[in-house]
Amino acid sequence: MHKYLLAGVSAFAIALTSSAYAQELMFPKGEGAFSWDSLQAFADAHKDLSGQKLTVWGPWREGGDQEMFESVIAYFEDATGVDVEYGSSENYEQQAQIDAAAGSPANITILPQPGLLADMASKGYLVPLGDATKQFVLDNHAAGESFVSLGTYKDAQGAPQFYAVPYKSDLKSLVWYSPDNFADAGYEVPQTFEDLQALTEKMVADGNTPWCIGLGSGGATGWPATDWVEDIMLRLHAPEDYDAWVSNELKFNDPKVVEALELFGWFAKDDKKVAGGVAAVGTTDFRESPLGLFTVPPQCFMHHQASFIPTFFGEGVELGTDADFFYFPAFAGKDLGKPVLGAGTLATITKDSPTARAFIDFLGTPISNEIWMAQSGFLSTLKSANVETYSNATLKGEGQILLDATTFRFDGSDLMPGAVGAGSMWTGMVDFVGGKSAQEVADAIQASWDAIK
Amino acid sequence: MGDVFGQVLSAGFAIAVALAAAGAYFWGTNWLLDKVLASTPRMTSGEMSRRDGLRSSIRPWLFLFPSLLFLAVYLVYPVLETFRLSLFDKTGRGFIGFSNYLWAFGDGNFQQSVLNNILWLLIVPALSTAFGLVIAVLADRLWWGSIAKSLVFMPMAISFVGASVIWRFVYDYRGEALEQIGVLNALVTWFGLPPQAWITIPLWNSIFLMVILIWIQTGFAMVILSAALRGIPEETLEAARIDGANGFQIFFTIMIPQIFGTIVVVWTTITITVLKVFDIIFTMTNGQWDTEVLANLMFKWMFVNFDYGRGSAIAVILMLAVTPIMIWNIRRANAEEGTR
Amino acid sequence: MTADAAAAARELPRPTTGTPRWLARISVGRLLTHATLLLLVVLWTFPTAGLLISSLRDKDQLAVSGWWTALSTSLTQGVSRIGTAADQLEDGGRFVIRGNVFGTDTNKQLDSFGLTNATPAAAVAGQSLPMAAGGDITVQRDGSFEWVSATAFTHTRGPRVFYVASIAPRFTLDNYVEVLTASNVGRSFINSFTVTIPATIIPILMAAFAAYALAWMRFPYRGTIVALVVGLLVVPLQMSLIPLLSLYNNIAQAFGATDGKAYLGIWLAHTAFGLPLAIYLLRNYMAGIPREIMESARIDGASHFKIFTSMILPLSFPALASFAIFQFLWVWNDLLVAMVFLGAQDSKLVLTGKLVSLLGSRGNNWEILTAGAFVTIVVPLIVFFSLQRYFVRGMMAGSVK
Repeated sequence: MHKYLLAGVSAFAIALTSSAYAQELMFPKGEGAFSWDSLQAFADAHKDLSGQKLTVWGPWREGGDQEMFESVIAYFEDATGVDVEYGSSENYEQQAQIDAAAGSPANITILPQPGLLADMASKGYLVPLGDATKQFVLDNHAAGESFVSLGTYKDAQGAPQFYAVPYKSDLKSLVWYSPDNFADAGYEVPQTFEDLQALTEKMVADGNTPWCIGLGSGGATGWPATDWVEDIMLRLHAPEDYDAWVSNELKFNDPKVVEALELFGWFAKDDKKVAGGVAAVGTTDFRESPLGLFTVPPQCFMHHQASFIPTFFGEGVELGTDADFFYFPAFAGKDLGKPVLGAGTLATITKDSPTARAFIDFLGTPISNEIWMAQSGFLSTLKSANVETYSNATLKGEGQILLDATTFRFDGSDLMPGAVGAGSMWTGMVDFVGGKSAQEVADAIQASWDAIK
Repeated sequence: MGDVFGQVLSAGFAIAVALAAAGAYFWGTNWLLDKVLASTPRMTSGEMSRRDGLRSSIRPWLFLFPSLLFLAVYLVYPVLETFRLSLFDKTGRGFIGFSNYLWAFGDGNFQQSVLNNILWLLIVPALSTAFGLVIAVLADRLWWGSIAKSLVFMPMAISFVGASVIWRFVYDYRGEALEQIGVLNALVTWFGLPPQAWITIPLWNSIFLMVILIWIQTGFAMVILSAALRGIPEETLEAARIDGANGFQIFFTIMIPQIFGTIVVVWTTITITVLKVFDIIFTMTNGQWDTEVLANLMFKWMFVNFDYGRGSAIAVILMLAVTPIMIWNIRRANAEEGTR
Repeated sequence: MTADAAAAARELPRPTTGTPRWLARISVGRLLTHATLLLLVVLWTFPTAGLLISSLRDKDQLAVSGWWTALSTSLTQGVSRIGTAADQLEDGGRFVIRGNVFGTDTNKQLDSFGLTNATPAAAVAGQSLPMAAGGDITVQRDGSFEWVSATAFTHTRGPRVFYVASIAPRFTLDNYVEVLTASNVGRSFINSFTVTIPATIIPILMAAFAAYALAWMRFPYRGTIVALVVGLLVVPLQMSLIPLLSLYNNIAQAFGATDGKAYLGIWLAHTAFGLPLAIYLLRNYMAGIPREIMESARIDGASHFKIFTSMILPLSFPALASFAIFQFLWVWNDLLVAMVFLGAQDSKLVLTGKLVSLLGSRGNNWEILTAGAFVTIVVPLIVFFSLQRYFVRGMMAGSVK
């Protein structure tokens, strides 16, 4: 009986199976503003790899990002003849660690958390990329020094080595809104943090709900709140304080951090300020949360989230017309400039091979960035990537912010060790929104950090 | 596409090979045993009986060997390895003795998990067995009983991922002004009360998660208890009815004592399952809002914090916690041996 | 089995009066029994029923209203952006922009519309409203609109039209189509079968022999081994993952392969994980086989092996079948072992892994969730319902003494 079932399903499934092989090139070569010569130069430099294999493990999953990354890979395959297999999963960070620990990692592992990568490097799972690549990053990426130090970790013997190149970056200090809804209600885009708070209160007074905040993300529930707190930290205190905080020189329960937590609570722990009330904050999925901007009548007017979020706005929402962003403003009263919080994914070699080395080189070519820039949700820090390839003006504006950044800091929770940045800080945020006091939560997170030292 | 055919072919091939190998191994070794240690007519009767005895003492081990090998490699070795790792630090290289265990007992999350596990152990096996028993008794008496039993068993066929989606539709929470799509909140708002984010309410959320496991395990209990009920001699029940006993009396004074052994086995099996369960908590709340249990905590320490020392310590504690129940189960299994 | 005979013999006494038998059977007690069981069964089935109904609903409806409202018309408010100056046509001296606020959606019917968020019901279908950019707009019940002005349009930003519409309940298989045609779902179906079927058959082969030895052969340490098997039922799976994967990788590398993630590995792993339960169940069942059957065969000179293959194995078929069901369900629904030992590359992902990845990336697409969950449920349910008659007989193996 089982055998009949198998035969029947096989026949049925074969009819349905889509081919994942030999993907078409999305943009025909030679057209558009892409840097096609960089692709040719790359192909010429890597001629002898035809027929070999490459496995890549990354964070991009179905529903948009994975397909776009695969469209980039298609160009690599076309240029070198290498057969690339890309995989990801819901708990991709854990899977990467399990595979590394068991000796069966992919050739290339791309992760968004430098803290996790540092863990892996200290256990000897990463392959050093060498000084040439390090110099390349220094010279060719905006804020190159930050990225080099971001990709440098201590190896198993304790010596710092360069392991990771940046690929896709996200801008975090953004607030998304619907320009039409703002215009209809008579609101203006705030230029200072004081104005932002005043606008929030005005919206409440008008009977509207200002913010959509959703922290839900499966096993990673709580991470959007860490973005809020980090952005606020950069606006309340000097960048040096931020750096000290991320390395735990400034303790998590220091009054400065608690102040930042409480300011986040001013926004998120008030039933009138958040769509669905405070109880919905911890349970609403972060991908569902921005949809409240576009309902009729709108459930909220503002949504603080990184630059990747338009992928989840749904069909029918046009970037630039239906949705736009403004910079999460800084305090006029403090002299801290306009700090920018960002994040990105870093590509590492977890199993060395000539194809892996070639792929790292490929990620440094402008074309590898431009293919994705022309689609959606990708920001590049590569100076040689042509900003004209951004698919719309909004992305171009974001990209420009990134390239012009002076005070630029990386997502703190991604820099902290995994047990805190991908563990107690996330759960602490959920507890905070669930009712615990800022001091309690900060103490708990500091305790967890002490426990792993 | 060739890849797919190759895969299917290799699966079919594997089955064929396994069947052939099993047949070859078992038949082959038995044949070999009988050949090598044959009792030939030329032997004395003493020698013959010795030979016979030798053969029958070796043969069980032939039957058992493949299973024991697999069990040793896949279950015994990891257990020992886990115990070893629990004595080392997070890098796996530094021996630290029982420090991990001392840490565990002092850790707040661990204590919360233990409390939760105790709660789970008290509630889930008891309710699953109780519901299973009641449904078994009722269903056996009615003409549509087997349909009822199939429907109640159905949740056992559903994966934990599927179950979590199903129950998401029950416990879902939307803001107060919005329409509720979760059944529970819809019911609550229909009565005029405000909707709640059920899985975030401490203590109650654990109970709501337990409901899911009870929902699944009742089918299992029901099937086994139903079979056991059929073993009760009809005459006993008839006699009781003739004596004027009503349904309840029969249930409590005859049925339960008769199948008490089965009830105990069902209860202990579900207890073991409850201690191992982590999928439900992992997918619904990931231990947030005080729902943490030991199995989930172990998973976190192993695969999120990558501290195999502490994760292993929790695993060992978990296994030790089950040991008393396990010993009881073994005693019963061995007691049954005595009947042969 | 004597229990079967007893069950068959169980019948209510025939009424001796002239009342129809079914009427005589009705009594308060029986009604109460029926009612209680019905209540329990409804409680147990309604969550799954809810899922099924949700998966068949239109995706816009399912995310905003509960499944129990599936049969009623729901009201929704929406917005549509209409054309810019570039879309205008000249028609008999006037300038017109036409279109449909519903786009290509044919399921909705317009009740009223308006021009601001706060007033989506300013005018009913068929009426007109003056537009800020000049002219009047009229929207009909089917969503088609006509915006007419005497002077040419010059605006570059399409204004928004808000509407209140009724959506007729619509049931569709679209959600299933969307899930089943998502990339590689077919492949993951095949992968699941590839993993499950060998992993169900192989343990039976080994466990049957071991169970027989533990049930009917006498040898020292028999009790210890039984205790060991029962004890191993308790081992949590997660502990084995990393030591085993390392072992596989070492072995694979010794043979020159890149890593140890292959189907063979996962078959062997599931076999081993299922052995304790298999041996436990089969041993108990075999121990219940009447000893006289075997005694007479022994007297006839049959060896243990012959007795086993020609008599015990066929007699144990219900227990074998019921273990096979358990194992099939367990392996099919497993996610963790497949992810670790097989990997999550598209070509190797099993169906549960596929569903989780769909859930993860489209967590807010409830239609994918519901249809996807049902797709994973369907095969185990088919297996269960078609083989369930073995279950009852087989499950008696577990513990009846």
